[in-house]
Amino acid sequence: MANLTSEQASQLADNFYYLGMAIGEFRYANWDRLSLEENKELSEMQNSILRCGEDILAYATKLIMDEVATSLVQINTISQEIKGSIKTLKNIQKGLNVAAVILILGVAIVNRKPDEISSSLKDLVDTWNTPLD
Amino acid sequence: MTDKRQLRQPSCINIFIQHSMKIFYHRKLVCLAYFSLLLAACSCVNLQAVTEYSATSMAGIQNFEEIDYSFLQHCLDRCTDEAIATYAIKPAQECSCSLYQQADSVTQVIYNTLAGYFEGLNNLSNNQLTNYSSDALVSALSADALGPVKVDAASVTAFSSLSNTLLRASTDLYRKKKLGFYIEQANEPIQVLLKNFTTIINTNLRGELKFKRARLYKYYMDMKMNRTLVSEYEKGQATSDYYQELEEINRKEKALAVFAESVVEIAEGHQVLYDNRNKLSVKELSGLLFSYSSNVKDLISEFNKLKD
Repeated sequence: MANLTSEQASQLADNFYYLGMAIGEFRYANWDRLSLEENKELSEMQNSILRCGEDILAYATKLIMDEVATSLVQINTISQEIKGSIKTLKNIQKGLNVAAVILILGVAIVNRKPDEISSSLKDLVDTWNTPLD
Repeated sequence: MTDKRQLRQPSCINIFIQHSMKIFYHRKLVCLAYFSLLLAACSCVNLQAVTEYSATSMAGIQNFEEIDYSFLQHCLDRCTDEAIATYAIKPAQECSCSLYQQADSVTQVIYNTLAGYFEGLNNLSNNQLTNYSSDALVSALSADALGPVKVDAASVTAFSSLSNTLLRASTDLYRKKKLGFYIEQANEPIQVLLKNFTTIINTNLRGELKFKRARLYKYYMDMKMNRTLVSEYEKGQATSDYYQELEEINRKEKALAVFAESVVEIAEGHQVLYDNRNKLSVKELSGLLFSYSSNVKDLISEFNKLKD
């Protein structure tokens, strides 16, 4: 377990910024297909994901993580994948699930809980790779 | 009688002694004159390059107080933005910002330390009384937000052992020596603080504005997608409001970037000062430091324009 450097924290915050924006793009692309409840839920999750990114920047080097370099590479890779293709996702439920696990990961990082970071990161990769479009 | 007379009359030996004494006194006077000239020459030690650099650096660092944004302000703005988006009207705004206040506190400690250091440097080079306390620098270096501080422990100890009160030096030569020692001991910890100060302002605080922009975009896009605006006038007004708010965020971002750029210039200038600490009165140093001081002045001017 180690502290993040300010550069690593900044990179992490960037990932949450792009993930928050990607959830927004998913909402706008599927606006008419989302129920009011689903849209509201996604909107709130989008706000919370953006909040996580802001909190990460305020915490900066106080953040801790297991195997920092490996975990950051994993988060970076999955963020790039989600950012690149969530807009074209046809399955609304999968979009909701992905947003939920991104938020769980963000909360674990801000709360500085390395075990929860590892498990939620694994959940995010699994949820994203589940064969539902 | 004869003996007494003989004693009163100058003997050859006495004449020789008197002559020798005259020569000795003359030489002593000449030596004294040379020494006085040397002292006068030393008193003309020119530390103008250091004075100018430190004064410009001090002004550049002090612009921090003119920045109209902070972590706490960002947190309060976020609460307001979210309340507006959800039409949440409450008797008092509920906003938990302790994390952001901590971030501001750390930044403030670093700022106070840097401002104090450059003021001390300026006073010392200007032959004014100064009482820079190295304790503040040591506590700033141990601040959590710096993360793993990459400064040699021995260097911090050496700097903290500097006398807290740097009294007015009796001669300029001594002052120059003291100034060189001050710069030598301070360089490593000051470079660490300047680097961290730049990161906090340019990466962290400026980075927060990116999220403010994202929330602004979401607010207006949701409004558009919800088709809540009916008339062309309302649509036009909303678009105008959006771009005005976006412009305001961009202005703040630019001001933070310009300020951070000036801190980088100050750090580079200090490194030049450190590299030339043994020849502080040499004319070439003015030339070496000129570009840094000049760049900082330009950036101060640019910052002031953005401030208005």
